[in-house]
Amino acid sequence: MVDIPSSNSGLRLRGPQHLYDGLFRGATLFFGLFILFILGGVAISLVIGSSEAYRNFGLKFLVIDTWNPATNKFGALVPIYGTLITSLIAMVVGIPLSFGVAVFITELCPPMLKRPLSIAIELLAGIPSIIYGIWGLFVFAPFLQEHLQPFLIHTIGKVPLIGALFAGPPFGIGILTAGLILAIMVLPFISSIMRDVFETVPPMLRESAYGLGCTTWEVVWRVVLPYTKVGVVGGIMLGLGRAMGETMAVTFVIGNAHRITSSLMAPGTTISSALANEFTEASGSIYQSSLIALGLILFVITFIVLAAAKYMLIRMQRQAGN
Amino acid sequence: MQTNSRGAALAGTDTPAASTAPLPPSMDPVASGKLVEKIQIKDLRFYYKKFEALKTINLSLADKRVTAFIGPSGCGKSTLLRVLNRMYALYPEQRAEGQVLVDGANILDPKIDLNLLRAKIGMVFQKPTPFPMSIFDNIAFGINLYEDLPRAELEDRVEQALRKAALWTEVKDKLKQSGLGLSGGQQQRLCIARAIAVKPEILLLDEPCSALDPISTQKIEELISELKSDYCIVIVTHSMQQAARSSDFTAFMYLGELIEFNDTETMFTNPHNKRTEDYITGRFG
Amino acid sequence: MAKDLARYARRRRKNWTILGLSLCATGVGLFFLGAILYSLLVEGLSAIRPSLFTEMTPAPGSDGGLLNAIYGSVVMTIVGTVVGTPIGILVGTYIAEYSRGNKLGQAIQFINDVLLSAPSIIVGLFVYQLLVVPMGHFSGWAGGTTLAILVVPVVTRTTVDMLVLVPNALREAAAALGTPKWKITVSVCYRAARQGMLTGIMLAVARISGETAPLLFTVLSNQFWSTDMNHSIANLPVVISNFALSPYPDWQRLAWGGALLITITILILNITARSLASFGSSKQ
Repeated sequence: MVDIPSSNSGLRLRGPQHLYDGLFRGATLFFGLFILFILGGVAISLVIGSSEAYRNFGLKFLVIDTWNPATNKFGALVPIYGTLITSLIAMVVGIPLSFGVAVFITELCPPMLKRPLSIAIELLAGIPSIIYGIWGLFVFAPFLQEHLQPFLIHTIGKVPLIGALFAGPPFGIGILTAGLILAIMVLPFISSIMRDVFETVPPMLRESAYGLGCTTWEVVWRVVLPYTKVGVVGGIMLGLGRAMGETMAVTFVIGNAHRITSSLMAPGTTISSALANEFTEASGSIYQSSLIALGLILFVITFIVLAAAKYMLIRMQRQAGN
Repeated sequence: MQTNSRGAALAGTDTPAASTAPLPPSMDPVASGKLVEKIQIKDLRFYYKKFEALKTINLSLADKRVTAFIGPSGCGKSTLLRVLNRMYALYPEQRAEGQVLVDGANILDPKIDLNLLRAKIGMVFQKPTPFPMSIFDNIAFGINLYEDLPRAELEDRVEQALRKAALWTEVKDKLKQSGLGLSGGQQQRLCIARAIAVKPEILLLDEPCSALDPISTQKIEELISELKSDYCIVIVTHSMQQAARSSDFTAFMYLGELIEFNDTETMFTNPHNKRTEDYITGRFG
Repeated sequence: MAKDLARYARRRRKNWTILGLSLCATGVGLFFLGAILYSLLVEGLSAIRPSLFTEMTPAPGSDGGLLNAIYGSVVMTIVGTVVGTPIGILVGTYIAEYSRGNKLGQAIQFINDVLLSAPSIIVGLFVYQLLVVPMGHFSGWAGGTTLAILVVPVVTRTTVDMLVLVPNALREAAAALGTPKWKITVSVCYRAARQGMLTGIMLAVARISGETAPLLFTVLSNQFWSTDMNHSIANLPVVISNFALSPYPDWQRLAWGGALLITITILILNITARSLASFGSSKQ
């Protein structure tokens, strides 16, 4: 190192600073790469674990609907169907609810209430899945069984075609119940992202619309939503990703029946609830491998959905930054 | 080379293509003492990626004097200041070419230890930047980087720095309190105290008063005129009046070029370059 | 003129209807929050007695408590937090301070955020194959490892968010004194961001406190008192899950009690974390 002539030369930094600098930087880089390795590790372990199932059943595994531990014949169709259907219900019910909450908090709510309301809604996100599960099983499902489901059976159930969806005995637990609970669980996630993106709309844009005489709703529908639509879709997909991966809440209320029924009120199963229920008791390597294969499918689906969500949210951020 | 004013003898004149020969340390003696050259900037060019922000600057800065950089926004005065302690090295897309000699050694040499260089050159920024710690720790932070002092000596050094920055009487009872609790003017003096606590030889001030009210500004200007007897001070300022009040020498820059450099009195009463005169009289900028 | 007025009236009605619906939506959300908390209190409060904290999980039909489960959960949470937090902070530091937004930093941040929302049961499967299979049995360490993996993305996310907020002028001021880069990050940036980072840690702890599914595959549970982390150890979520699904009213009551305990802990952590955040920002 070239020394600088100095009246107080003999000045030295205490300690081997270049070494510390290098070590620190190295540590941050190492653990940064570690994150990538975790993801890779998860993927690889799932592929390895499920290889036996795929070797045995081939890609038809995805469309077989038997699940028989006794004869060692497994197929993923029923759990995949369950995952998709419960998530669909969660979205159909949850998106309008989340949207309503987001609109209320950003447009209507008196400023004093904004913060406590937001915190309250976010507390819903903090409640763990198992609590939803217990509550669902002991409180919500009986309630549905006694009140909502008979009502649905006697009203929509009588309508031709879609009536079949709402037919059958009111079990209380089942796909519909699981979907409804998922809707409540994803509500805080979707609505908080919607709120965040709604707030990126430049005030001047809103003010110009109001200045033309638009009502509040018209401002939201015609100005705020179009401006934020990428972010809104991103938020929805984030909610979808979470709904698909939820385990304990679904396990408690879905009934764990490996069959596809036309009625939404019947029990069924999802990928995550099948895993939760059966993995620890799965004997035999094909059984276990089939379950891990289910896990791989779930991993792939949620990864795609979450990556797409993140991509859209990044685009929204860039737009807001400009 | 003009010799009819002591300031012009220190630098290249208003002809952009002119390059200066290095100047002898002994100059025309002035009533207040001999001028010693502390920093010599030779053929300095500075780039933000491909954009040439500083175009061949040649300049000498005197020790124990205050030199001001003035000019309209975007002229490169802050950029030039930040070359002097190689602050630009934090950002990979910025680079400098040429030579900057401090006491004869070229600080742009890649082999120079940046941390030690910056111990010798202190910097105060536009907005006060107290660290999120107590007032005492703010000052002690820099000292502890280089010296392992016993507690009593550390406290002495902190007190000295605060006294020199004319802040001691106001904060001596609240040294344990957070630096963020001080007023803007006090925070800026805290930053000055922090910078001089490590005993630098050069002080770089980047528009130190632009975020402050007039009374704090006045206090800091008084501080600067006291400090100059110990340091080579370079101050970037947006205010010509401040340059006229506080500095001994002034450099006027425009669009990345050094247009004129002179002692302050001459610069403001009898500028040689038309553009300088236009700026000073307010015809633009 | 009449047509315009009628049209305007329609628009206004539509406006009020939809805004009314949004109020209802908020009401629905709050209602369910209230309903869940209410049920927890009603069913769980009866189980909150000193014996809950002093006795072990009982056999069906007898009295008992949740002490072993509480112990196991606390220990595994500590392990998960102590291991996951420094890793998360370092990753966040790489992204915010060292990567300068390069491709690698972007990729790491992207993957981190995906991991943040990924199904925790998949993480459980991963640790199962990583640790449980080679060891041949479940263990508290496997459970702690899973929790650590779940903690990292949360802490990374908050670290990045907080470090990005630290003004560059502060870093330059430290650099101007000759501070080496690592010290700028540790002594100045972390200090400036410490409140936010603490919030992140609290939120991470709240997140892992209720995780059940991954623990099913890694640590399962244990009916008895055990401090042996090398084998199954009792923990609240799995115990609650088992007891709730059982047909024994005693066990079910304990399950509600445990559920209430977990929920109160998480609510306290969440509320504290968020009010810390707002207090910190109002101070500056």
